[in-house]
Amino acid sequence: MKRLITAAAGLVLLIIPLFLPLEGLSPAGRITCGLFLFAAVYWMFAPIPIYATSVTVILFQLALLSNASPLVEFFGFPYASADAPSADKFTGTLAHPILILFLGGFMLAAGAQKYHLEKNLVRVFLSPCKSPQLLLSGVLGVCALLSAFMSNTATTAMMFAVLIPVLAALEIDDPLRISLALAVPIGANIGGIITPIGTPPNAVALGALAEQGIRVSFASWMVIGAPLALVSLVFVTIVLLKMFPPKAKKIELNMTGSFDSSAKAVMLYVVAGLTIVLWATESVHEIPSSVVAFLPIALLPALGIIGTNEIRGISWEVLWLVAGGISLGYSLKDSGLATWMIGLVNWTSLGNTGVILGFLLLSVIMANFLSHTVTTSLLVPIAISLGTSGVLAGPSSLAVIAIGIAIASSYGMSLPISTPPNAIAIASGAVETPQMAKVGLVMAVFGLVVIGGLAIFLWPLLLK
Amino acid sequence: MKHSQPKLAILCLEDEPAVLDAVVRDLAPFEELFLIEPVESVNDARQVMEALREKRIPLALALCDHLLPGITGTEFLVELNHSDATKSTRKVLITAQAGLTDTIQAVNEGSLNHFIAKPWQPSELQKVVRDQLTSYLLATKANPLPYLALLDAQRLLEAMQQQNMTTDS
Repeated sequence: MKRLITAAAGLVLLIIPLFLPLEGLSPAGRITCGLFLFAAVYWMFAPIPIYATSVTVILFQLALLSNASPLVEFFGFPYASADAPSADKFTGTLAHPILILFLGGFMLAAGAQKYHLEKNLVRVFLSPCKSPQLLLSGVLGVCALLSAFMSNTATTAMMFAVLIPVLAALEIDDPLRISLALAVPIGANIGGIITPIGTPPNAVALGALAEQGIRVSFASWMVIGAPLALVSLVFVTIVLLKMFPPKAKKIELNMTGSFDSSAKAVMLYVVAGLTIVLWATESVHEIPSSVVAFLPIALLPALGIIGTNEIRGISWEVLWLVAGGISLGYSLKDSGLATWMIGLVNWTSLGNTGVILGFLLLSVIMANFLSHTVTTSLLVPIAISLGTSGVLAGPSSLAVIAIGIAIASSYGMSLPISTPPNAIAIASGAVETPQMAKVGLVMAVFGLVVIGGLAIFLWPLLLK
Repeated sequence: MKHSQPKLAILCLEDEPAVLDAVVRDLAPFEELFLIEPVESVNDARQVMEALREKRIPLALALCDHLLPGITGTEFLVELNHSDATKSTRKVLITAQAGLTDTIQAVNEGSLNHFIAKPWQPSELQKVVRDQLTSYLLATKANPLPYLALLDAQRLLEAMQQQNMTTDS
């Protein structure tokens, strides 16, 4: 019932702007306004899966706003057909360079999973951790490192599978159980900010920036994300140890195994290593990261390292989700809606700092309740329009605010519904929602303060 | 954690009331997430299964005695195995009396998944039930999250990762 109501409400909102006296807004702007409201309702309340909403948004854009639209062709509405954006613009978002970069990351992750590279890395990282303090920081660190390249959710599922015997061996009332169960999703969420391919919101921000002709290299993202992640990990280690002082004195880890040394596994290590090195050195060779991503996309299947099973197992729907965000952002700007919306508020009275902090705050709040990708998809296009309309100062402000919003969304992790990794942690039974909420709130405030400070003082210098 | 109506059911078929009580008692840990249906005859079992079908609650596990009035447990399992609704139901025989022929039939035609000899230890029964329910969830690709704390979390999580069952959003 609730589903039907939200589904209907979203459809009503889709057409309402056509009939409202929105002065100064073009017909195309009105359609886009309806589409934005539709997407917002459908993404927030999810009467259909959020990736389905994304592709539906693209369908509506094709049907209403592209040069393939029958309306445009026969009635010259809402554009004269010469002004309408090409349909390829919208369909092409499914193969946007940023999505190709992501696909490259997915292929590497699929390969790593097939040859158990991630489990072996965990073993190597955790085997020296004999004390509770070391184990906790080790878990945070290795989760962050893996989720910088793999999905946060897959990292969390794998890590819990590894930790279950450890948790079972601890006394039932040892607070270390709680802190370890929290360390996994927190480490995975934070790790997502380290690289552009760490988590889907990053792709939305980078896609929107690319549409503005701003290319942020893999390395420049890492220069921003990696130190922030490191500081956050140190901070959360201290917070967890203070809040949940461990009772156990020594930790017994029985992890055995060895790196796969078959020819295919070795080829995977080489391709992965080469790809990551090329991603990190973009400033030297200037080959865009999405082009480099084609190394794993082509070589892993060509060398028989992964096959059809792994390719079918890739999270294609995540790519669709991101494509919808990029596509909607494009129309927001192209239709003039963004400029019109910005004219409604006297932004200059807020000042540069006020606008940046406002968006970061919104992002963290929304991300606690909504999908992080959805949060970023809704906020970044608006923020970017602000930048292009001259409200934000400085040429680097677009990149600062878009990246800031994406990164801030990763700090929305106080509830089980905030992120899939959180849901897994709660489902494990080792931690309860109030404990997660407490630590999550601390992280949100910490994130806001640090991201806000960096976004205002440091990033403008780094992103020149 | 509060749970709504269980979404999956466990059927226990045993004609001796005292033994049936013992089975149900040993299944107590699973009550929170599974609807436990104790029945004393095959007729009752068929009725219960009809009611479950109407409520759209799949039967995840059938625990069956072998010696029953009128029909053997093995024959009942074969019957379950031939119905689409209960084909993927995990099937366990609890018995002291099944001979080799019956056992062979249960395995070959009834897709018997496990054999428990009477008398059993509660912890043994619970382990078998836990394993079988985990296998059921994996085979039907159901969302494993609600069952992590109760069933074999390690197997469920590994499958979640391997099959990319949930992703970042």
